[in-house]
Amino acid sequence: MRYPFPVGAADFIQGDEAIARAAILAGCRFYAGYPITPASEIFEAMSLYMPLVDGVSIQMEDEIGSIAAVIGASWAGAKAMTATSGPGFSLMMENLGYAVMTETPLVLVNVQRSGPSTGQPTLAAQGDVMQAIWGTHGDHSLIVLTPATVQEAFDMTIRAFNLAEKYRTPVILLTDAEVGHMRERVYAPNPDELELVYRKLPVNEEEAKYPFGDVHGDLVPPMPIFGKGYRTYVTGLTHDERGRPKTVEAEVHEKLIKRIVAKIENNKKDIVDYETYELDDAEIVLISFGIVARSAMRAVKELRKEGIKAGLLKLNVVWPFDFELIEKIAENAERMYVAEMNLGQLYHLVKEGANGKAEVGLISRIGGEVHTPGEIVERIKNDLR
Amino acid sequence: MQIRLAGIGGQGVVLAGIILGEAAAIEGLNVIQTQDYGSQSRGGHSIADLIISKEPIYDLMVTKADILVALAQLGYNSTKDSLREDGLLIIDTDLVKPDREYIGAPFTRLAEEKTGLALTVNMVALGYLVAKTNIVKKESVEKAIKRRVPKGTEEINLKAFRIGYEEGLR
Repeated sequence: MRYPFPVGAADFIQGDEAIARAAILAGCRFYAGYPITPASEIFEAMSLYMPLVDGVSIQMEDEIGSIAAVIGASWAGAKAMTATSGPGFSLMMENLGYAVMTETPLVLVNVQRSGPSTGQPTLAAQGDVMQAIWGTHGDHSLIVLTPATVQEAFDMTIRAFNLAEKYRTPVILLTDAEVGHMRERVYAPNPDELELVYRKLPVNEEEAKYPFGDVHGDLVPPMPIFGKGYRTYVTGLTHDERGRPKTVEAEVHEKLIKRIVAKIENNKKDIVDYETYELDDAEIVLISFGIVARSAMRAVKELRKEGIKAGLLKLNVVWPFDFELIEKIAENAERMYVAEMNLGQLYHLVKEGANGKAEVGLISRIGGEVHTPGEIVERIKNDLR
Repeated sequence: MQIRLAGIGGQGVVLAGIILGEAAAIEGLNVIQTQDYGSQSRGGHSIADLIISKEPIYDLMVTKADILVALAQLGYNSTKDSLREDGLLIIDTDLVKPDREYIGAPFTRLAEEKTGLALTVNMVALGYLVAKTNIVKKESVEKAIKRRVPKGTEEINLKAFRIGYEEGLR
């Protein structure tokens, strides 16, 4: 296999470009999208690369069609992705729920821009955290990853595909205009350095009868592929283990939804990922994710220089959420701060996790610019005075 | 090392920044490049920021530039406060009237007279910058130019870069 970009080598590329290349290395061969700033470069790269790797990149009529096409491609056996931002992400919410309900592996990239509505199209924000987790209606769970660097955007795209395939679920890569548009040095591994995950397929007629049944006891049913020999019925209606609509039976609905939620929540330890810096003796704990985590890291270094015992918890996954981890950290901290580019979203999850064991403050910034390290330092020093 | 390149749209400031960043990446250095420009395709301000380091980089934007390269007065005016007091100012001496110490050359005029194309001003300035500072090796930049400029324009861009480099050595 020849790749249309350097592998086993470093390159100097934008976050959006890194996401496209990583997707192709992860085995993605179907992309459907609709152009939108600041995610368009992903689509541009996919349009350039896909024909060269025998893949498909298609412009749909809108974002609703884009995610619908991706769901269809996934059922046809392809690893598939779409990418969008703000208004497009809102349009995708209904079919995101369809992907959850039909347990369709896919990767949805949201390069966040400042909203609501058309907002500030070229500027970064982190205002879609709650929407990524809870934007589609009904009880559900899914996975949300948050890269802070171009290298992480690359690595987490590969991980997003692996998690989508492993748990048969949509995975959201929640990044932003800063990461999407900045250029950094990125190492793209050789394909043989990569560990790639592929969805479980039914191995016989018997297994294929239960595309929505927990036939292996791991909560993740094997997924039949259209055109590969089995008759399968896929519906967004509540369905039994065979996929047949059962829309009024409470026990069928409860069993299905609880399994779909449990396959994510019960595997929290496998899915959750975070990094800590100077946390062991920290009295002041900063919690951050994505682009803001970089400023928070610098802020912790500055605070330490001034003798203030600060530490950082950088979340690489914001859902499933490790409430227990937050409580454990809160027990040893005097004060916690969530720094994010919104009016307080992750803040609410952290507050719930802290469970009153530490005070939780919000360091909020909106308008398109990332917090400077100095702003974070000043705010914390002010509070300590 | 924080470097800021400032000019007006159409001068190729962002491309020069990308090429300098790519050269640093080729040498195995960590580098981050961001940009800021007006929505006009020509005439608005245009800024390319680079942070180059052997250590991991957390900073996102240039806060206190070690080097500022200004190719137009508008770019200079909007960025001069971000240059450190002991920082290095490099200017196009025909187009920028600075209010502090500087070095420089008439980059646009050099580009026009020696390559026949004023558009190569970005490469002339980049050559001058590299000769004066040795942030990256000349060869790394030349490799980056070959990778990044539009096909068919490699030679004229390399020529412009070398003209600026020679000027910087004088």
